[in-house]
Amino acid sequence: MLDQILCIDDDPITLMLCKKVIVKSSFSNEIITAQNGEEALSYFNTIRHVKDKPIEHPQLIFLDLNMPVMGGWEFLDYFNSPEFSEFKTIKVVVLSSTIDPEDLEKAKQYPMVIDFLSKPITRSMLEYLNNKME
Amino acid sequence: MKSKTNQVIIIYILISLFVAIVSHKLLLQYISDSNHQLYTFTKDIIFIFLTGIVFRLVLLKNDNRNISIFEKLKNTNNEIKESNEKYDIVAKATSDTIWDWKIQEDNLSWNKGIENVFGYTQDQVGSSSKWWFDKIHPEDSIKMSIRLYSFIEQKTENWQDQYRFKCADNSYKYVLDRGFLLKDENGRAIRMIGAIQDITKQKEEEQRLKLLETVFTQSKDSIIITEANSLDDKIPNVIYANPAFSSMSGYEFEEISGKPADPFNSPNSDINELKKLLDSIKNKQECLIETISINKKREEYWVRFSMIPIYNSENELSHWISIQRDITDEKKQEKEKEQLIRELTQNNKDLKQFSYITSHNLRAPLSNLTGLLNLLEDIPVENQELNEILNGFNKSTHLLNETINDLAKVIIIKDNPSIQKENVQIKEVFENVLNQLNFQIELYKPIINLNFEKNTNININKAYFESILLNLLTNAIKYKSENRKLKITVTNREIGDNVELIFKDNGIGIDLKRNRDKVFGLYQRFHNYPDSKGLGLYLVKSQVETMGGTIEIESEVNKGTTFTLTFKNKL
Repeated sequence: MLDQILCIDDDPITLMLCKKVIVKSSFSNEIITAQNGEEALSYFNTIRHVKDKPIEHPQLIFLDLNMPVMGGWEFLDYFNSPEFSEFKTIKVVVLSSTIDPEDLEKAKQYPMVIDFLSKPITRSMLEYLNNKME
Repeated sequence: MKSKTNQVIIIYILISLFVAIVSHKLLLQYISDSNHQLYTFTKDIIFIFLTGIVFRLVLLKNDNRNISIFEKLKNTNNEIKESNEKYDIVAKATSDTIWDWKIQEDNLSWNKGIENVFGYTQDQVGSSSKWWFDKIHPEDSIKMSIRLYSFIEQKTENWQDQYRFKCADNSYKYVLDRGFLLKDENGRAIRMIGAIQDITKQKEEEQRLKLLETVFTQSKDSIIITEANSLDDKIPNVIYANPAFSSMSGYEFEEISGKPADPFNSPNSDINELKKLLDSIKNKQECLIETISINKKREEYWVRFSMIPIYNSENELSHWISIQRDITDEKKQEKEKEQLIRELTQNNKDLKQFSYITSHNLRAPLSNLTGLLNLLEDIPVENQELNEILNGFNKSTHLLNETINDLAKVIIIKDNPSIQKENVQIKEVFENVLNQLNFQIELYKPIINLNFEKNTNININKAYFESILLNLLTNAIKYKSENRKLKITVTNREIGDNVELIFKDNGIGIDLKRNRDKVFGLYQRFHNYPDSKGLGLYLVKSQVETMGGTIEIESEVNKGTTFTLTFKNKL
C-alpha cells in the first residue's frame, strides 16, 4: 500500500471516483487532489519550502491531460525540469480519455511516466499498477 | 564531177586544136613538100607528146583535189558516226524521254524512254502531236498547250513546263518537259526537240515537305530554329520562328531573327532555370525548362521551353529546335489546385482534431458513468424498481461506450494510413479470437471448420487482424439462422504473393441485390437486431484496406454469407 498519491483532474466526479476506488482497493493511505497542473505545481513548491522537517510527498501521480489553466503536458514539462529534480522519484500515470495515438507517443518521452491508461479508473487497474511497481 | 569532166575535155580539145594549128603553120614554113610523109609523122608524134603532157598535168591536179575531198568526207562521216554513238549512250544513260517533232508534217517520234519510263510499247505510241497532248492530264493540258504554242509563235530559244503525263497503266507521272526549236533560214519553226524528265519523286517529296511544313506554320506551339553555335555557350541566335511564336511573344520573325532566343527577359525569370538551359547548351543536350517570360507589350507569361539539339549526317550539331508553349493558364490552375489542397489538408486536420476532441469530451463523462456503475456493483440495492432502472442505465451506458469505442477505432484507422505489420500465424490468431468468444461459442455450439493450409504466416497488423476476425465471427453468430445449426467454415490458401482467407457461414444472409453497395457502409443495418450498430463491416473493410488488402462478399438470403479477404504477403 502506498502512503500518498496525488490525483490531478479538473473533473470533480472523476476525482470522487478516484478516491472511492482507491479507498475500496486499499491502494493508498492518503489521497490528495489538484484541479489542474498549476495547482499541483504550487503544491510541490509549498512542500519544498517547509524547512523544519521534510513533509512526505506523494509516491504516485494520476494525471489527466485535458485541463483548464495548465494541462497535463505542460505540467509534465515543468515537472521534468531541473527545478523539480528533487521530486524525480515520483512516478506518473497518465489517466485520460484521449484516443489520439500521438498522445501515446508523446507520453513515452517523459521518463517519469510509467503508464498511459484509459479512464475510468478500476480496481483491476490498480491491481495491475501494484504489480508493476513491485 | 560531170562539169569538171567536161571542163577537162574542153580544155584538152582547145589545147589540142591550138597545138595542131601552131605546128601546122610552123611546118609549112620550114618543111618542103618532099618531106610530106616525114612531116605528118613528126607532127603527130609531137602532137601526141605535147597533149599527153598537158593531159597528165590536168588529171594529176584533178586527182589531188578528189583525194582531199574524199578525205574530208571520210572525216565528216566518222564525226557523224561518233556523234550518233554519243547520242545513243547519253539517251540510254539519261532517264529523260526524248521527243522529236517535225512541226509542219506534225510527225512526232519518241526515244526508248517512252517505253522505259511510261510503259508504252512501240505500237502503242502514236506518231502525231495529238497522241502526246491526249496523254496530258486534263487539268494541265490547256495551260500547257497555251504555253507551248505561245512559245512556238514567239520563237524564243527555250521552253519548259511541268505537267502530269499519263502512263500505259493509266496512272499519272509528274514530268518536267524542256525543249528547243529548230528554225529555217526564214526563222520559221520547223522542228522541236524536247526531253521529258520524270519528276514524280521530287514532286511527291515537295508535297511531303509542304505537308511537314504545315506543322511549323500551323502549330499552336511556338517553334524556333536557332544556329548551332553561340558565343561563350550563350543562347544561340534565331534562324527561323513560326507564326505561333509571333502571336505568343508579340515579336515578328524579322525582329528577333539573328538575335538570341532568350525567354529570360523578365525580372521575374527563373535564374536557376536559365542556368539549367545554359548547361544543356554547353553540353549539347536536350533540355526542358519553365520560366516567366515577358512579351513585347511587357506582359508576363509562363512559358515551357524546350531545346533539342539537331545533328546532321556527319554527326555534327547543325542547329537547335526550340518548342515553346504558353502555360500561364496551366500555372494558374496549378496554383489554385495547390491552394485547394492546402485548404483541404488544413480542413482535414482541423476535422480530425475536432473528432479527437469530441471523442475525448464524450469519453470523459462516459468513463465516469462506467466507473460509477462499477462502484454500484458492490452495493446491494433493496428497491426492486431502482434495481431495474439501474440495470437499464447500466446496459445503455455500455452500449454507448461500445459505440464510441468503435467510432474511435475508425478515426484511428483513417488517421493512420501506414501501420506497423508483423508476421503472424493465422491459426494462432484465430484460436486467440475463438477464446475471446468462448462464452458465445459455448452458448450456441456452432460447427467451426478450420481448413488452414499448413501453418500459413501472414504479414499483417495483429490487432487489426484480431478485430477483423472477431467482427466476422460475432456477425456469423449474431445473424445465424434459427432453423439450422450454425456452421462456419474458414479456409485459407496462398496464391502467389497473396494470402486468401475465405469465411463462410450458413446464416440468414444479406439481400445483395438491394444492398450490395451499402454492405460495407457506415451505419448500414440490414436486420432489425437490438445490438446492431451498423459499424462492424465498415470497420472490417477499413482495417482490411488500411493493410493493403481487399474484401469481397457473396451472400444469399437464408443460405449464408461468404467473405473473401485477400492480403498481399510481401515482407
